[in-house]
Amino acid sequence: MTLDQNTLVAIGPPALVVVLALLLVIVDMAWPARDRLLTWVAAVGLLLIMAATVIIGPLPGIGLLDGPQVVFDGAYVRDSLTTFLDLLMMSIALLTVLFGPDYLRPRGLPAAEFAAMLLFAITGAMLIGGARDLLLLFLALELLVLPGYLLAGYAKRDGLSTEGAIKYFLLGSFSSAIFLFGLVLTFGYAGTTRIPDVAAVLAGAAGGAGSLAPGLLMGLALLTTGAAFKIAAVPFHYWTPDAYQGSPTPVTGYLSVGPKVAAFALILRLFVEALGDLKADWTPFVVVLAALTMTIGNLVALSQDNIKRMLAYSSIAHTGYILVGLAAFGGAAVGSAAEQAGLEALLFYSAAYVFMNLGAFACVAALQRRPGVTSQLSTFAGLGRRAPLLGVLMFLFLLSLTGIPPLAGFWAKWYVIQAALQVGGWLTILAVLTMLNAAIAAFYYLRVGVYMYMRDAPAGARDVNVGGPTRTGLGLAAAMTIFIGLLPPVTTAVILMAREAAQALL
Amino acid sequence: MEQLPLLSVVTFLPLLGALIIAFIPRDNLPAIRWAALITALATFGVSLMLLAVFESGAAGFQLMEQADWIPDFGIQYKLGFDGISLAMVVLSTTLTWICILASFGITDRVKEYMISFLILEVGMIGVFLALDLFLFYIFWEIVLVPMYLIIGIWGGANRIYATIKFVLYTLVGSLLMLVAILAVAYTYQAATGSWQGAFDYEQLIAFGFDPTLQFFAFIGFFLAFAIKVPMFPFHTWLPDAHVEAPTAGSVILAGVMLKLGAYGLIRFAVPLLPDAAVEWAPLIIVLSLIGIVYGAIVALVQPDLKKLVAYSSVSHMGFVTLGIFIFQEQGLHGAVMQMVAHGLITGALFLLVGVIYERTHDRTIARMGGLAAVTPVYAMLLGYFVLASLALPGLAGFVGEFLVLVGTFAFSPVAAAIAAIAMMLGAAYLLWMYQRLIFGEVSDFLRGLGHHLTDMRPVEVLTLAPLVVLTLVFGLFPGLLLELFQGPVTEWLAHVTPEAAVGLR
Repeated sequence: MTLDQNTLVAIGPPALVVVLALLLVIVDMAWPARDRLLTWVAAVGLLLIMAATVIIGPLPGIGLLDGPQVVFDGAYVRDSLTTFLDLLMMSIALLTVLFGPDYLRPRGLPAAEFAAMLLFAITGAMLIGGARDLLLLFLALELLVLPGYLLAGYAKRDGLSTEGAIKYFLLGSFSSAIFLFGLVLTFGYAGTTRIPDVAAVLAGAAGGAGSLAPGLLMGLALLTTGAAFKIAAVPFHYWTPDAYQGSPTPVTGYLSVGPKVAAFALILRLFVEALGDLKADWTPFVVVLAALTMTIGNLVALSQDNIKRMLAYSSIAHTGYILVGLAAFGGAAVGSAAEQAGLEALLFYSAAYVFMNLGAFACVAALQRRPGVTSQLSTFAGLGRRAPLLGVLMFLFLLSLTGIPPLAGFWAKWYVIQAALQVGGWLTILAVLTMLNAAIAAFYYLRVGVYMYMRDAPAGARDVNVGGPTRTGLGLAAAMTIFIGLLPPVTTAVILMAREAAQALL
Repeated sequence: MEQLPLLSVVTFLPLLGALIIAFIPRDNLPAIRWAALITALATFGVSLMLLAVFESGAAGFQLMEQADWIPDFGIQYKLGFDGISLAMVVLSTTLTWICILASFGITDRVKEYMISFLILEVGMIGVFLALDLFLFYIFWEIVLVPMYLIIGIWGGANRIYATIKFVLYTLVGSLLMLVAILAVAYTYQAATGSWQGAFDYEQLIAFGFDPTLQFFAFIGFFLAFAIKVPMFPFHTWLPDAHVEAPTAGSVILAGVMLKLGAYGLIRFAVPLLPDAAVEWAPLIIVLSLIGIVYGAIVALVQPDLKKLVAYSSVSHMGFVTLGIFIFQEQGLHGAVMQMVAHGLITGALFLLVGVIYERTHDRTIARMGGLAAVTPVYAMLLGYFVLASLALPGLAGFVGEFLVLVGTFAFSPVAAAIAAIAMMLGAAYLLWMYQRLIFGEVSDFLRGLGHHLTDMRPVEVLTLAPLVVLTLVFGLFPGLLLELFQGPVTEWLAHVTPEAAVGLR
């Protein structure tokens, strides 16, 4: 194995993120406690790396690479899917880096370590996106989640934060172990860890549902369970609300999108690429998981009075919607257009979800900038009058999460539904269920609107002062939430990227 | 020279106004109010220009504007209008400026209020002009958000309950409609092999879907529209929303939003899925009849003035759905006529309820009495619109209900008899209400208000004047309107009735 030019180009984006993380640590050592400087270095650095990623490609029509670049003896690949996920993960990092300091500084929490840990986690997520080897997949997954545990407990003097972090850590390690065991069993059956080779071996094993060797079946069950834990699908979601509520709010925002999208990347690489031929065996579980996840997520969210908990359950519900895309892939006939549509929908939904959900959490964080402000729903009372712009933005993100056109969340639902309808049968019922769930969800999203616009601020409520980086981040998230659907060039670009990325898997 | 895209202008002019208002300082109330009024009047002016360029009798849609929006899925920006959409657009633009003028008394968060109203207007006009199913759905949903705010922020005591109920009801219907739209589009795509035209209204109605798909897709469309109309038994959101909404909100709700549902049935549900429409028609006719009678009976016993008018809407809108689903020329003419007339008359009634509420802060019929002595102009105007609402010949309300009855009689004399009895009930609750409000001794409650109880101010008369005139003109010369509808109605029937004639006999 040589470290030639091709390898360097292919591995460029994640490698550069590691360099940036190290740079941040050095900057922090040279000029201690210059949070603002650090934030902008991280943000500009991420933007440059995103530009580099676009230049490297492969993207539809542009990029140095015009096809998949397999490196490290086939362990890592840079194809359209890798690029799509890299850009998405770096967008998450960029927004989180912008939202973090305004919340952390007033609480005396250092921003440098926050940004550095975040970037290490993002590196893990980006490596998952390009992993073509079961071992790399697992290592990248651990690189993703370990900094996540630390971030969850970042406010170490805060009991809730520590409690959430411990729960997250215990269940996270537990699920990682389950997942690893599944990988081992799969390896035992296939005799190789390279994903294309595994797929080739399993192609011979697939003979319809119920015909699998017991070891492989066991492995599949464990992998499904492990992945369901990571995406927080019902009934493997119990760690989510506590971890989300306890974490510092910008971290919660990150946790609700970063590890989730990365886990879906893992599902794409593992279940679609390696285990795609066994989809007759895993699809029924996905259909049930999707139905349970969205329904229970939404029903429990209805009764939450804490906005972070409410958004935690709402993120569970959105996991269910994204799973509909996977179910559409699974339910579609092999080689049909619907197979592709399902994966496209999954990717498109993830992209839309990232911006609107991070935006919503950022509004909560902005509101909580002053230490001591709780995340109870009543905090939002009268926000429309106290901070009109923040109120409008929060309302925008909530409408998007509800799925009101022409915002991003609507297009995402639309994409998922049309994929499901292409498959028909059970998936049609799932599509109808998705829409009914969207109506349930409208209730609790609009309840926040009620607090913001239809109730008066509590006596003595003080002005909300939104920091500069948060403003920039909110602007970016709002722009994406609006333009993903409304501006044809943006829409087409995202659709094309998702399409190419989906094609890379088939 | 390229012609000015009039339809886009009339749709998005209010949005421009809303953007301008967003930059006016919130303390400058006069500027905000006048900017909103001027925008609404300008939009009204443009809609009158549409009336001028409209070629009655020409087939199909006019002034079509078409551009690709998201070509990957064949989604287009496509607007066009025929006589029916034209009438609805002019109704919307008329009522919007009247509502804004009537809302000059609002002092709380005027900026947000006016912006909400103008965005609402964008959505309403868009629904009436969109010829792409996707675009239509977007406008349809856009209507929801401003109305949620208008009821929720500027509404009465129980406004939050009412607004959430309104949104959830509407959303359940419209989300299922989205599934139906996608199912229709995908079926088209699967049959033709490309997304090109999969959301195009004209392509889709010419396609002819298989009966099973029609049957299920119709449920989606029908639920969305029936909730909006609202048809019995989907009407329960309406009294709450109407009672809690501010006056102008009620006017738009009754005047235009209910028409969105009826328009959706006429424009989309039936022509797209004619076989299913015929299959479902008996049930819908029965529900319409129940709605007509039930709305009237419930209105009879309402102690609250606004609730009475709200339930009368359920009854009146029953005539519209009845007129549509008998698939018959007079019936459809009557339905569309009734949509316009109901918009004008019920809009006016809500304005009048608002006038009395503003002075008394009460709407309980039992506490009123003898208004004729105190506020004679008010008594006269209310009398005029009460008579119009109970379908006095010579006023607009009569033409629509009469045509629907004629059509229904040809279809089934029993159904016509039931509807006619309900019309008598209509006369009963309206006249009884009028008697309790206007005649007799001045009640103690009103006497206690003293000089607060003034007669109509000039500006209030001004908001009602156009409605008075139009109600009379359309009552005396219904041909003016019916001529607009002739083309689309003939096409509609030609498209639907070959199946219907067989199916319903």
